[in-house]
Amino acid sequence: MGVPRSMEATYDSAAARVDRGRLAMPNGWWGAALFIATELTLFGCLIATYFYLRFNNPHWPPPGVEHPKVALPLILTAILVSTTVPIFFAVRAARAGNARLTWLLFFVAVLVQGGYFGIQVHEFLSDLDKMSPHDSAYASIYFTLIGAHHAHVVVGIAIELWVLWKLFGGLTNYRMIGVRVAAFYWYFVSFLAVAVVLTQIYPSL
Amino acid sequence: MTIALPPEALRRVRRLERVWEERQGVLGWITTTDHKRIGILYLFTSLLFFGAGGVEALLIRTQLIAPNQSTLSPAAFDTTMTMHGVTMIFLFVIPISTGAFGNYLVPLMIGARDMAFPRLNAFSYWVFLGSGLFIYTGVFTGHGPNAGWFDYVPLASRTYNPGPAIDFYALGLIFNAISSTAAAINFIVTIFKMRAPGMSLNRMPLFCYAFLAVSFALVFALPALSVDCVFLELDRRLGFSFFAPGRGGDVLLWQHLFWIFGHPEVYIIILPAFGIATSIIPTFTRRRMVAFPMVALAEILVAFIGFGVWAHHMFAVGLSTITTVYFAAASMIVVIPSAIQLFAWLTTLVTGRPIFKTPLLWIIGFIVFFIIGGLSGIMFAAIPFDQQLTDTYFVVAHFHFIIFGAAVFPLLGGLYYWFPKVTGRMYHEGMGKLSFWLTFVGSALTFFPMHIVGLLGMPRRQYTYPAGVGWDSYNLFETIGAYILAAGLVLLVVNLVVSYFRGAVAEADPFGGATLEWSTSSPPPPYNYAVIPTVSSAYPMWDVEDRQEDVRKLNRGEMVLDEGHETPASTVLDANFDEILDMPSDSPWPIVTALMITGIFAMILTGHLVAMCVFLALFAASLAGWHGVEPQEA
Repeated sequence: MGVPRSMEATYDSAAARVDRGRLAMPNGWWGAALFIATELTLFGCLIATYFYLRFNNPHWPPPGVEHPKVALPLILTAILVSTTVPIFFAVRAARAGNARLTWLLFFVAVLVQGGYFGIQVHEFLSDLDKMSPHDSAYASIYFTLIGAHHAHVVVGIAIELWVLWKLFGGLTNYRMIGVRVAAFYWYFVSFLAVAVVLTQIYPSL
Repeated sequence: MTIALPPEALRRVRRLERVWEERQGVLGWITTTDHKRIGILYLFTSLLFFGAGGVEALLIRTQLIAPNQSTLSPAAFDTTMTMHGVTMIFLFVIPISTGAFGNYLVPLMIGARDMAFPRLNAFSYWVFLGSGLFIYTGVFTGHGPNAGWFDYVPLASRTYNPGPAIDFYALGLIFNAISSTAAAINFIVTIFKMRAPGMSLNRMPLFCYAFLAVSFALVFALPALSVDCVFLELDRRLGFSFFAPGRGGDVLLWQHLFWIFGHPEVYIIILPAFGIATSIIPTFTRRRMVAFPMVALAEILVAFIGFGVWAHHMFAVGLSTITTVYFAAASMIVVIPSAIQLFAWLTTLVTGRPIFKTPLLWIIGFIVFFIIGGLSGIMFAAIPFDQQLTDTYFVVAHFHFIIFGAAVFPLLGGLYYWFPKVTGRMYHEGMGKLSFWLTFVGSALTFFPMHIVGLLGMPRRQYTYPAGVGWDSYNLFETIGAYILAAGLVLLVVNLVVSYFRGAVAEADPFGGATLEWSTSSPPPPYNYAVIPTVSSAYPMWDVEDRQEDVRKLNRGEMVLDEGHETPASTVLDANFDEILDMPSDSPWPIVTALMITGIFAMILTGHLVAMCVFLALFAASLAGWHGVEPQEA
């Protein structure tokens, strides 16, 4: 009948063939899509809260709190978003059955993202020195929103490291879906980064 | 069905039995990934919580039987009333409808051998169990949540509610949301991707449409609750300022986020009931559902509109007129899809040849209560009416007609309807009818007088009331009604327990049902179907030719998929056969992972941050264990 048995795809070219032969997206992709949908809703609630609180306050940020930086967050976000390029090509390489190139491209992405995360942690800590969530709703939602995004970056990096580890053994159907899900997750985190950074710098615009 | 099988077919069935066999005993139940066993675990656990919530209800009614009673202290009353709501909503109705009914029946109805993610399914159950025990640990250590099920700040803030009671609530609900989200994602992927070849979306049972709508509502509603509870915990534990008006925060923020979740939640509770009704009515009226596509769309539409009406819970808090008018208008729109379904059920009943067996009686009770609860519901869309009656017993009457009368009655009818399928035994018809009438009369007697005391001004959540204000006899009737209701439920349990041991043996299809679950033996084998059925209408059991073709396919060895733990995956819209999946078999990782999550929440609650990080690391390690062995290596 020509319907593939996914379990038989245990080496690179077979995994690529099964992946390309599917009529619909695999179950794992759908699961990731719905997971991302709930995550997007979560961030939707956070950003909605930001603006809800903003319109309940005459001064935003409150007096005595400095306005957020604009240039550095935008540059960092641009760097994070740029990692979707190697990830995009990593998926193409995987779907062509090239496990080594997939590994290399993911590795490049994870290096850049790790650097991004390091600088962001430093920024987060220096912001905490300047204002406290005890003092204002502004600082509360600021740290919650940005902290939540950083947590998602950590999860994304952890997924990539897992994919890198598994790819040492070559591609299987299971790992192919893993690669596609990891990429999908990063597209989502990059999209979030833009939404979050625009919210973050909004008072300075 | 093994009687007349030729030898090759018998050999195939034997091989399927060997491949799909799970461990016996306690270890088998702990590591199971079989959707039917997980469904049964969900059923018993949620029924236990139903018992707890029921006892709490009886305590409340006993306290209110007459003026100036002191069965419960004021503080105990607060906890009892809060836990009654939390238990019934989060630990009973959602788990029994999605977890038990959905888990057991959705894969059977769509002709699959399991859910799309069997281990995630087990994980959902164990996390649900953990969250339920977590919240009840609060109750048993004297710190039961006590600020009402919607837990408004500032009552729930640290200033007015020191001690861990509210932390049990907030962390417990985040914990519980993990389970419901995982289950909802699993249902959507299962319904989209695992349908038997030929079951295009327009041929999918209405039951599955209801569960699809519920699952989508859960996916998009729960994050609002989780975010809200995170804010509350940050405020309470780390001194954040979300709900602190003096520091730029706003107490209404809690209410908005809560009801953005809370109103879709109402439809999450009731849509499974609609799904069960649309399964039982065609079977016992011997005809197809009237207006099938309209009902399917109405189910989806109810879930969708449910996201646009949340502020009608907040008409009395002083929102601007333009806001309240918008939400009042939006709330009235919900009438349209609800009425489409209502008239479709009624028309099916009237134009069919109804056989009034126990399951259908529960559905008729459901329709009656749904009409009463629906009529009192649209009254609240009138803003002045709402402002007059908000926080009175009229509201309590309304939502108990909806949540108990309309949402739980079909669940109880469903327990009778699918009892033969799950156990292979028949329930006792006479006792079944008696249990229905007792529960029906008890419910009407409990909840109807609440309208009147509400109109007379009795506030909800009140610990007791003075004599001589004209509320006494109504409250007495309500309490008597509650005990009659409880007697009906006890009779239901007795009926099912006795029938499990002594009932007549049930055939595969005792009622002439329309959907696929009736085509396999009662109880179904672990692999559900020896041949993956091919479907050509929305009532596959009434397509006799198709089912005979299944038997011929078994003889020929087509669509048996007995080379491993296999089931087909299909395309989303047309259900074209796309892929043969290798499903994971029993695994210890779901329960281990759930245990680590329980550890994380327990440590957050007790403030042991180092221990929390240890559990976090163990959680990551158990995820690695979970994904370490790929299906083809097992």
